[in-house]
Amino acid sequence: AAEPWPENAALYQQLKEDQILLSDNASSLAVQAFLQMCNLPIRVICRANAEYMSPSGKVPFIHVGNQVVSELGPIVQFVKAKGHSLSDGLDEVQKAEMKAYMELVNNMLLTAELYLQWCDDVTVEEITHPRYGSPYPWPLNRILSYQKQWEVRRKMKAIGWAGKTLEQVLEDVDQCCHALSQRLGTQPYFFNKQPTELDALVFGHLFTILTTQLITDELSEKVKNYSNLTAFCRRIEQQYFEGQERDSAAIAARSSKRSLLR
Amino acid sequence: MAAPMELSCWGGDWGLPSLHPESLTVMAYAKFSGAPLTVNTVNKSWRTPKGDLPVLVSEDIVISQPAKILNFLRKQKYNADYDLSAKQGADTLAYIALLEEKLRPALLHTFWIEAENYCSVTKPWFASRIAFPLSLYLPGKMSREALNRILLTKGGPPLYSLTEVEAQIYRDAKECLNLLSKRLGTSQFFFGDTPTTLDAFVFGFLAPIYKVCFPRVHLQEHLKQLPNLCRFCDDILTCYFRLTVSSHSPAGQDTADANLQKLTQLVNKESNLIEKMDDSLRKSPQHPPRKLTTLKLAAGGEESSPMSRLSP
Repeated sequence: AAEPWPENAALYQQLKEDQILLSDNASSLAVQAFLQMCNLPIRVICRANAEYMSPSGKVPFIHVGNQVVSELGPIVQFVKAKGHSLSDGLDEVQKAEMKAYMELVNNMLLTAELYLQWCDDVTVEEITHPRYGSPYPWPLNRILSYQKQWEVRRKMKAIGWAGKTLEQVLEDVDQCCHALSQRLGTQPYFFNKQPTELDALVFGHLFTILTTQLITDELSEKVKNYSNLTAFCRRIEQQYFEGQERDSAAIAARSSKRSLLR
Repeated sequence: MAAPMELSCWGGDWGLPSLHPESLTVMAYAKFSGAPLTVNTVNKSWRTPKGDLPVLVSEDIVISQPAKILNFLRKQKYNADYDLSAKQGADTLAYIALLEEKLRPALLHTFWIEAENYCSVTKPWFASRIAFPLSLYLPGKMSREALNRILLTKGGPPLYSLTEVEAQIYRDAKECLNLLSKRLGTSQFFFGDTPTTLDAFVFGFLAPIYKVCFPRVHLQEHLKQLPNLCRFCDDILTCYFRLTVSSHSPAGQDTADANLQKLTQLVNKESNLIEKMDDSLRKSPQHPPRKLTTLKLAAGGEESSPMSRLSP
C-alpha cells in the first residue's frame, strides 16, 4: 500500500436529480458499492460537466489524492495498488470466472441500457434528450444530446446491435439475468460469503434498472422475474447503503421525478 | 428435423476447415451436436451472399449470425449442451462474452489491420475466393469495418493513437488466453469429456490464431506457450474434422510422433500377449488382418483406446 486512503476522496457523476441517465447511474452505483464494500469512504459530488472532466470521457471517476481514475475496471486496479482488494481470496479459476461474468454484464446489460436510452426513439424523445442536456441553455442542450446519440448509434452499428429490435434486446437482458440468477443460486454473494467487484457491478446495474422508471416497465419486469436477484439487491442495499439515508431517499426521489416527467 | 440444412461459409486453409471464426464456430457446433449440415464454401460464383457469413439456409428460413444459427440448431433438437447444468450454461454465456470483448479485437487486428498480415495473407486469400469485381472491394470493406469496430469500442481517450490501442488490445487478448488456459486446466473440453457450445466458440476463435501462418505472429507465439489450448485445438481438428495435424509446428509433430510411437508399441504389446494366450487364433486367418487394422486405426486417431480396437 503506497499512501493511505485520504479523507477527501471524491466521486464525480452527473446531476442526480435531473441529468444522469440509466447507464451512467448504474456505473456510478457500482463504483460506490465497490468502495463501500472495501470500507473506503468517498463523497459523491454531482457536476453537470462530469463527463467532460473524466479522463476517459466516461463517468464515474474518482479523485483521490492527486490522481484521477475513471471506470470500474481501472478503479478496482487502483484500489488494489493501494492494498485493498476484494478478490484476493479467489483461486485462478474463480478469478477467470469473475472476469468472464463482469464482461457478460458489460457486454449485455450495459449495452442493452445504452440501446434503450439512445436507440429506442420513444425513450430518446421523452426521457433522454430532456435529461441529458438539462443543465445547458437552448440550443446547446439539443446539440450535445444529438452528438452523443450519434456517437452511441455508431458504436451500436459497429458491434451489430443496430439491427436489433427492442424485443430482441429485452430477450438478451432476460438471458443475461437468467445466467446471473443461475450463477448466484441461493448463495448470498456470487463467490462464497464475501462480496467481490462482480457483486458490486451486478448490484449497480440491477438496482438501477429496478428503481428507475422508464416509459414502460418491461426492463425492470425482466429483472423482477428472478427473485434471488431482487433479494440480492435488497440485501446489498441494506448492508452497505443504509447508513446513507440520503442516497436511497435520493434514488427514490429521482424515480418519482422521472414519473412526473412522463 | 428432416429438412436439409445448408451452411454457406468461408473456406479453409492451413489445415483448418475455415479461416473465419464465426464459420468455424458453427461448423464445430454442428459436428459436436451431430447436425447434418451440407457445407458450401464460398467460391468465385456470383451467388455468394452479400456480406455476413456464415449463413444457414433451411427450406425457407435464412439465418445469419452464429448465436442465432446455434439457437436454430438447438430448436431442431441438435443440442450439444444437453448434459450441462444450469450454472454451466450461465458460465458458457459469461465466457463467450469474455471472448467477444477481449479476444475478438485482437483477432480482427491480426487478420485485417496489421499491414503486413493484411497485404500478404488475408487480402489475397479472401480476394481469391470472391468473384471478380467484388474481390477488389469486399476485402477492403471488411478491413475498414474491422478498424471501425476496434476504434469505436476500444479507442476512446486516454488512448489517442492506434499504436496505444493496439498495445491495449493485445494485452487484453493475452490475458484472455491465460484465463482460458487456467479454466481449461488439464481436462479435455471445458465442461468434462463432451464438447459443448463454449468449446465451439473457443475453437472458432483460437484455431485461426493457432494455425494461420502470418508474417507478424506475436499472438500466435503467446498461444503456443499455452500447451493445453494448443492440444484442445488439435484434438478437435483430428477427432471432429478428421484433418491431420499438419506439421506447421515441429514441436507438435514431435509430440504427435512420440504419442503415435507409444500407442503403436502398446498395441503391439497387447496383440503379442493375446497371441501367446490363444493358440487357436494364431492359426486362424483372421489374425494378420486384425493386426493390420489395429495399426491403421492407431495411425488415424490418438484418442482411440487399444483395447476396443482389438476385440473383433
